[in-house]
Amino acid sequence: MTAATQGGAKASLWEPSRLLRRSILALLLTPPACLVFLGLAIFFWGPDRSEAFFVPLLAALILSTALGWPLAAKLRHQLAALARQRDAFYQELLRLSKSASLGEVASSIAHDLNNPLAIMREEAGWIQDLMKGGDLQGSHTQTEIANSLQQIDIQIERSREITRRLLQWGRDSAPRTETVDINLLLNKTLYLLESELETAGVTVAKDLPPDLPPVGGGAPELRQVFLNLMKNALDAMKARGGTMTLATRADAAGLTITIADTGPGIPASSLDHIFEPFYTTKPAGEGTGLGLPISRWIVEKLGGTIGVESKEGSGTSFHVTLPVQAKKDAPGP
Amino acid sequence: MTRPIRLLIVDDEARLVETLSKRLTARGLYVEGVHSGADALALLQGKPFDVALLDVRMPGMDGLTTLREIKKLQPLLQVIMLSGNASINAAVEGMRLGASEYLLKPANIDDVLAKIEEAFHKKLIQEERLAAQHGPGA
Repeated sequence: MTAATQGGAKASLWEPSRLLRRSILALLLTPPACLVFLGLAIFFWGPDRSEAFFVPLLAALILSTALGWPLAAKLRHQLAALARQRDAFYQELLRLSKSASLGEVASSIAHDLNNPLAIMREEAGWIQDLMKGGDLQGSHTQTEIANSLQQIDIQIERSREITRRLLQWGRDSAPRTETVDINLLLNKTLYLLESELETAGVTVAKDLPPDLPPVGGGAPELRQVFLNLMKNALDAMKARGGTMTLATRADAAGLTITIADTGPGIPASSLDHIFEPFYTTKPAGEGTGLGLPISRWIVEKLGGTIGVESKEGSGTSFHVTLPVQAKKDAPGP
Repeated sequence: MTRPIRLLIVDDEARLVETLSKRLTARGLYVEGVHSGADALALLQGKPFDVALLDVRMPGMDGLTTLREIKKLQPLLQVIMLSGNASINAAVEGMRLGASEYLLKPANIDDVLAKIEEAFHKKLIQEERLAAQHGPGA
């Protein structure tokens, strides 16, 4: 074990299946049952009544089982309802966070688009200035106008690239049943943050080997996960720049996606809490504390796991492992 | 008030700086342009300006950091923040740090000119006030 601390992927306390198992055990060993058993056993304990010792023992067992079973069933029922409520809660959070991150993306894209627009406005304005000046035939004026028109065209091309990117973002909110090319999804998500990364002085190192097995569905949700993790990496490096690493790897465990930063790292005391709803280390007003809990919920819904490694002073890595899609030509039932 | 307004434009969009400079020069201003916060500070070390148009979002030193440093070098220089982002946060933060105005890209040249002139007047008033404070004999 290195000095790096690990945490996060542990099942939380209110994970229904775990809570259920614990509750049944607690019910069977419930203190009243034990007291009944002890009281009766002591009462019947004696040299001439030794066989009767087993009667209360059996009675206590039957009693506790008879009482415990319906209770356990009820508990199981309630826990299932609780799990459904939790799912609905996370669905709602996901919907909200999607529109929140769309808002952030929209703001970033507005910025990207306003720059070429500003240039086009000045170029058009310059042509108008020249026209007001009168002498349109002079070779200098002709060159200036041609130059400005060419620049407008360059800026239109630049704007078109931005809108194309935006369209791609919206496009694959298609069915969940499709398989997902993870590398493509990572690249598309990266596009959205490109100019922000550049502004922050963050370089991107990619290790995305081709021919990875696809994962089964969940593209819109996974995109949300990747956007959350990349934005966290970006935020961690905003002050001093750094390198964001995107890596994918397929092995027996499935497909693992690593998104790592070279930021200041997460203190060990915070690392255990980062997947808890509303826990945030970002300045007030900047983090909702929902990105990571939602990401974990999405990944677990898709049958995967998410974990984190962080070392103070050298950075943080998030690992998402997803089950890969079985071969398409497998015979159906 | 016969001297031309000395304007510094700081924006990483080189073409914007170039064309805006041409248009404002044609309107009687003395204009210089640079493409980064660091270049702006280097220039301001040795040369006085009246007004600066400063982009908020630039690679390297961002606009707000540049603003802070500009105010240390030339406290009276009037800074107009230029933002490509409709987000009001950076603009408000800029005003808090001493910017006198902000403009959203793409801005209209008449608005740009009006704000520059307004900022210039503000600077003249501040200069007069400062001179009066030091007294006639000072």
